Amino acid sequence: MGILVDYLEAKAMADRYGIRSVESAYLDSAEAAVEFSKHKPIALKALSGNALHKTKSGLVALNLSGENEIRSAFRNLAEKASAYKPYKILGQRMVSGGLEIILGGSVDPQFGKLVLIGLGGIYVETFRDFALRICPVTRYDAESMIEQLHSKSVIAQDDKARGMLVDLILSVSRMFSDNEVSELDLNPVILHDGTYDAVDIRILR
Amino acid sequence: MAKNPKTKIEYADLDPIFTPKSVAVVGATDKPGKVGHAIMLNYIDAGFSGALYPVNINGESFIIGHKAYKSVLDIGEDIDLAVISVPAKYVGGVMEECGRAGVGGVVVVSSGFAEVGQTKLQDELAAVSKKYKMPMVGPNCLGVMDVRGRNDTLFLPTFKIDRPKVGGVSFASQSGSIGASTLDLMSSAGFGLSRFISYGNAAVVDEVDILNYLAHDRHTQVIVFYLEGVKRGKAFIETAKVATKLKPVVIIKSGSTNAGAGAAQSHTASLAGSYEAYRAVFRQYGFTEAEDADDLLHFAKIFDTQPLTSGKRIAVITNGGGHGVLATDAIYKNGLALPRLDKRTEDALRRVMPATVNVRMPLDIGGDADDKRFADALRAVSNDPNVDALMVIALFQTPGADDRVSESIINYAAKRQKPMVVVSSGGAYTKSHVAVMENSGVPVYESTTAAARSLAALIGYAAYREAVLQGYASPSKRME
Repeated sequence: MGILVDYLEAKAMADRYGIRSVESAYLDSAEAAVEFSKHKPIALKALSGNALHKTKSGLVALNLSGENEIRSAFRNLAEKASAYKPYKILGQRMVSGGLEIILGGSVDPQFGKLVLIGLGGIYVETFRDFALRICPVTRYDAESMIEQLHSKSVIAQDDKARGMLVDLILSVSRMFSDNEVSELDLNPVILHDGTYDAVDIRILR
Repeated sequence: MAKNPKTKIEYADLDPIFTPKSVAVVGATDKPGKVGHAIMLNYIDAGFSGALYPVNINGESFIIGHKAYKSVLDIGEDIDLAVISVPAKYVGGVMEECGRAGVGGVVVVSSGFAEVGQTKLQDELAAVSKKYKMPMVGPNCLGVMDVRGRNDTLFLPTFKIDRPKVGGVSFASQSGSIGASTLDLMSSAGFGLSRFISYGNAAVVDEVDILNYLAHDRHTQVIVFYLEGVKRGKAFIETAKVATKLKPVVIIKSGSTNAGAGAAQSHTASLAGSYEAYRAVFRQYGFTEAEDADDLLHFAKIFDTQPLTSGKRIAVITNGGGHGVLATDAIYKNGLALPRLDKRTEDALRRVMPATVNVRMPLDIGGDADDKRFADALRAVSNDPNVDALMVIALFQTPGADDRVSESIINYAAKRQKPMVVVSSGGAYTKSHVAVMENSGVPVYESTTAAARSLAALIGYAAYREAVLQGYASPSKRME
């Protein structure tokens, strides 16, 4: 069993490799949450090593806007999370719309580190539309990974989108290769407005 | 992983095993039905021209007409290969004697080692092999066959399994039973074989060494591999990169289900099971993966006979309209396309085809097409710059099709300008023509699906190889 890396540490690692992710901060009060939102929709997530699945444990509140909604969501979340002490509450800027993909890494006992890209979010397990390559991947490998996906015409609609995903795969491969990481999930990564943002980053050492 | 630090086996080290000038058969016997008897008989039946020394501890003077010895140490001549089929507990001692006698390499046919939990006994063999730098294939294997040199350690009687003719396909299989049955199928499908190896428990010579050997073997044009698993993943990848750059490697992996995979904490790890990792390796390093035994034979056939192309435009010539439609579907389903014929090709076709023939793709030359019409169509279409490869459907049930049609096809195939596959399905009459075409190096398939899959395999490999040769797919630093 790997040890889960703190979210903001994981985000900082992704930042160093130029991997985009939504603006995030730990919030210690309802007021801090309101301030963080800057009048734009946010999400709140209670993070605890004692609760593996945030959504199932009711520890996620999405698309919050307006001071009152944010305050009450924060208090509600803090109350639920008190069952999973110690916990932290993470605020994240919402990104709206867009298709969800997954990128990740895992270690095969025989061949070593592998990088994955696939159709993400709720579709991961249903369609199992993903491509894998041994690390470190080349540009050719990254291109052929996208080519391999059934969903390629949806997630890489034009050359620009395709190029962006190729660069993202290469960055994930570099991050995974360079660091002592045993499992890695960027899930979901939301494709929106001609760019992308990782919304959840799980790194296991 | 460093439990068994391995001495590196260079590919030339395996020459005494594959192409020996002299062979000792340890455990040879006059008693029919025994493994040591079948091995001796096969060497004699195959017409092995080197020296053959039966060895048996019982001390017979002659075994199947050959002077026999109690020990390899008594032979007193150079021995390239010893084939050992004595009971498991005696194998270590026999190998020690082989080592002292300076034997070049051994094939241990005997079973009763790691496959039944006797790992210590097997480790002893590996230690002797290492001590004398004497490569060992097996234990628990069929061993090797080199058709050209008539070297054949298989204990399968010749009347029960077809022995193939000499050719460019080499076939490696960890499993003996799958090895033997596939070998039988390959022989009856008319393949020319270079080497065959069933390597069993792979205590010393393993899949990496074999891939490396076949990659560098100048008689091997196509490698076919039946893999249960690899023990040295990183070395396998490094060897694969070299091998697939040199020649096509068609591979099939058993165990595609991931039973017993550990609980994963992430989505990625739960998706990336062991089989998926193998598939990733196959795709990434230029293998051609076969889904089943049919694929294996179909792919080997096209690689063995056809030139490479990375172009995806497949021209279809058919003497049956329905088959033309099926072919079109199969081509597009496999990621390929029909070409748009050049204006000059269309004009040329209109000049030679009857008015009833619609000049377009797929080109249906009519149920009454004879050899001349096939030849005219082949000539015009194959010269078209928009055509990368051809699928020719020759249905011999039609009135115009006879052995002159297969001759027209063979004549085109002899030029080997662009890859061509032929689809002919039918009964005994058809099969007689298929045999003639296949013996002349034309890959013939029973279905348009099999033909299209095989073309896609050829084209996929060619594209990989081009990318590698342009330095695109293989950076200087690939390993961690």
